[in-house]
Amino acid sequence: MSLADLQSWLLQQGVRRDLDTITRLTVRNELDNLAPETSVNLSASIDWPRLLLAGSILARSDQRVDQEASLRVATAAISLTNDQALKDAAAVLMGKLSNFRAITLATDRGLVKAGLNGRLGFALRLESQRREVDRSILVQSSGAWLQVNDFQQRFWTNAAGNSWLSASAPTASGKTFLVLQWLIDQMIAGESRVVVYLAPTRALVSEIETNLKELLGSTELIEVSSLPLVAKYKAAQAGGARVILVFTQERLHLLANVLSDVLSVDLLIVDEAHKIGDNQRGVILQDAIERATRANPKMKAVFISPATQNPEELITDAPDGVKTISIDSDASTVLQNLMVATQVPRKSKRWKLTFRQQGSEIPIGILQLASTPAGLKKRLAFIAAAVGERGGTLVYANGAGEAEEVADLISQILPKLEPIDLELTQLAELARKGVHNDFRLAPLVELGVAFHYGNMPSLLRLEIERLFRTGKIRFLVCTSTLIEGVNLSCRTIVVRGPRKGKGHPMEPHDFWNLAGRAGRWGDEFQGNIICIDPEDKQAWPAGVPSRARYPIKRESDAVLELGDGMADYLSKRGLSDPSSIEDMNKFEQVGAYLLTTFMRLGSISAASLAKRHDAASIAKLDQALGSLAEQIEISVELAARHPGVSAVGLQRLLEAFRAYPGDVENLLPAEVASNDSYDRFITIMRRVNEHLFLAFTPDTRIKLYALVVVKWLKGYSLTRIIRDSIDWHQMVGRSYKLPELIRGTMELVEQIARFRAPKYLSAYMDVLHLHLREVGRDDLIDDGMDIGTQLEFGVSSTTLLSLMELGLSRMSAVALYEKIARDDLSREECIAWVNERAGQIHAMDIPAIIIREVRERLALPDEVAK
Amino acid sequence: MPAKPITLGPFHFKRRGDAIAFLKAMLGRYDVGDRVNADDAVLLRAALENHPDAAKKIGSGIQDFSVRTADFGSRCFWVNRSDGTTEKFSITASIRG
Repeated sequence: MSLADLQSWLLQQGVRRDLDTITRLTVRNELDNLAPETSVNLSASIDWPRLLLAGSILARSDQRVDQEASLRVATAAISLTNDQALKDAAAVLMGKLSNFRAITLATDRGLVKAGLNGRLGFALRLESQRREVDRSILVQSSGAWLQVNDFQQRFWTNAAGNSWLSASAPTASGKTFLVLQWLIDQMIAGESRVVVYLAPTRALVSEIETNLKELLGSTELIEVSSLPLVAKYKAAQAGGARVILVFTQERLHLLANVLSDVLSVDLLIVDEAHKIGDNQRGVILQDAIERATRANPKMKAVFISPATQNPEELITDAPDGVKTISIDSDASTVLQNLMVATQVPRKSKRWKLTFRQQGSEIPIGILQLASTPAGLKKRLAFIAAAVGERGGTLVYANGAGEAEEVADLISQILPKLEPIDLELTQLAELARKGVHNDFRLAPLVELGVAFHYGNMPSLLRLEIERLFRTGKIRFLVCTSTLIEGVNLSCRTIVVRGPRKGKGHPMEPHDFWNLAGRAGRWGDEFQGNIICIDPEDKQAWPAGVPSRARYPIKRESDAVLELGDGMADYLSKRGLSDPSSIEDMNKFEQVGAYLLTTFMRLGSISAASLAKRHDAASIAKLDQALGSLAEQIEISVELAARHPGVSAVGLQRLLEAFRAYPGDVENLLPAEVASNDSYDRFITIMRRVNEHLFLAFTPDTRIKLYALVVVKWLKGYSLTRIIRDSIDWHQMVGRSYKLPELIRGTMELVEQIARFRAPKYLSAYMDVLHLHLREVGRDDLIDDGMDIGTQLEFGVSSTTLLSLMELGLSRMSAVALYEKIARDDLSREECIAWVNERAGQIHAMDIPAIIIREVRERLALPDEVAK
Repeated sequence: MPAKPITLGPFHFKRRGDAIAFLKAMLGRYDVGDRVNADDAVLLRAALENHPDAAKKIGSGIQDFSVRTADFGSRCFWVNRSDGTTEKFSITASIRG
């Protein structure tokens, strides 16, 4: 019998019954409000020495199921037995699994007595010490040794050198922690001067920026910034402080634009790299990676993705001669218990929980609810409130509105917390002062419940996440933002019929990205996933998904594989009225990418993507692109500055400018303080729609879009924009619902003012400048900050920009700016302004969390906060 | 009723209706948010001075004119005053008095 056969036999038959028993017992310990069981003491019947031996045999396997069974045995022996020798053996087993964090956790919890090594026999001690050394990596910059698991070790070893690396591992495998450690090590001990960390969402950008700043402490050797401004980049190039720029793909393009592509990035890290397949923004990410590579062909690139099927796909476009390495891990660091909850017939308050694993099922027990769950939202809320009462419970809701309602329901059946924790009070204060006095979040967080969605201001969202991690927020109701790239794990996740975005049933890999967050490695031994109504076809059209990994496919490749769609689209895109083209949104971004590539290379057959598609379809595309390119005078440099915006659109816009009969000054946006500004934006947005791309739809909402853009640019706070909207509704006698109005305003800010408007208005301005130079009106060209950057950050004054350059969130910057009279302060002057008022800041009616951020970012003495 | 002629700066219209039509055509040549050009501004200035509420509308003095949105989705001329304030005015009211 081979080792693999033995392992397989153990799992199937040898210790199956004992495994099922310990699974049932360990899982029951995790859940609250289970009906008591009258059965006999099951753990007494277990042959622990035999089970531990089986566990150690299974630990030698590289199969996920074997490793999981082994970890289950160790966890059970530590938590279910009272025999110190068994517990010690279980800790040794965890060591064999390189799960040192679990040993530390067991010791911290008093489950294993401290000084384990001293209790081991000589041989075992030697073996254990050897393992610890084998599984350690040297952090060059600090000289410290870090204990790691197999994946982390392989990452660290392979990340050295100049090769391109793609690393994939499930959530909760310590990926982000390790990559950030490695990055800092590279910066301090290595050669990298300029690093770009690409995070495909603004939420992840702010999270990574915050993490890096915490890890770096007060070092002045390395700067971290998420603003696409040149100062820190140039200082790093000139030998000053090295810089880590944490950007979305759009921001990397903005920086490359300001530097006219004279951009030299030493190391590019792409986090959540599977998002290269995202609809509409995937190709912008691909373009950003290619652009940075073109600017510095010696750049090293590291791609990180959650559990993916084909991480090697990401490095297939590495420059010629560059070595590529792909590392992949399927290791489980914590036990993940997938359970389904089904109502006991005719007993609406009793729910049967069943554990599922590889086709087998183990009954766990009956969950008792506090109240009758009438309706689906109550069902989700009450089951979550019951099963996860001890906290760390994440609830998945389909949409922001539902998240608010479910959170509200949970809060109503929880016991009140008295007195309210200070940090929760401060978060409630931020919600009231930073959003609206009646924002639903405020009273909920006072009860230890919160909701969370993408369009929330980052300061608020990050504080919610932080307090959820520390346990002060016990229940967090979230939306699909979480799988769009937020690193947040939990103890228990409760879900019913999850959808991604607006209405699409979740694919298995997305579901497992979500479910994989159950189990905080180092904080818990297990994580729980509760799926409600597994047999309901509406909730789960294809049933509860089995474990799955992301297939990585570039958006560009996926669109090209649709067949002749792209060639058809390209042939129509040159027509005078492209608004009639179907599926414009599907093809425009990739179409723009192909056209720019064609303009650069003269044929897309020379591009990297050609190797992935058949020659005939490439030739057909070349033909369509060729006839488009003939009509275009716009230079490839200009087109490349605006990824996702078609060069045909840019050309049409240029022609519209040339044909414009009025005064060219009227083509420019009016100064934001001017009375014309709002109306001018209306006209510009219509012009964009007509000539460039139908970006601002429907037409009836253009006025609203223009209004939000103006207010955002003026540096208004979210609170003020919301208040103005309420005033307007009241003035014209229109009814409104406050939660919807608040969410709607947040969405307008994020999606229009910070996403669509910068993308298309910055292209508009570039073409306009070209036209102004053609007609000899260079005098009208203002070489100040690009409108795209102004819009993304919502700034038009120097003071506000300086505050954000110091690292403040916009919310904090605006709150301070409301108190600062001058609009032209530099960074140093802003620091001086705050220092002069250090004693008075807390009397200025600024929320405590904002004061904390100001203190941390401006490195002020502690008394400012007091 | 005989047609009433009107003189607005260098322009002479045989009928007030003609002046209104001329100004409306002018309005139509602009997009919202546009600053009115210097030539057109001469006529607009004369029209505004003819407004029954001219003194109040002109206030601190005329800087220039813009075309902007007004109530219920309509568009009209606005006078931008020297002190930075602005106010809309109606073509018809300026001419008919």
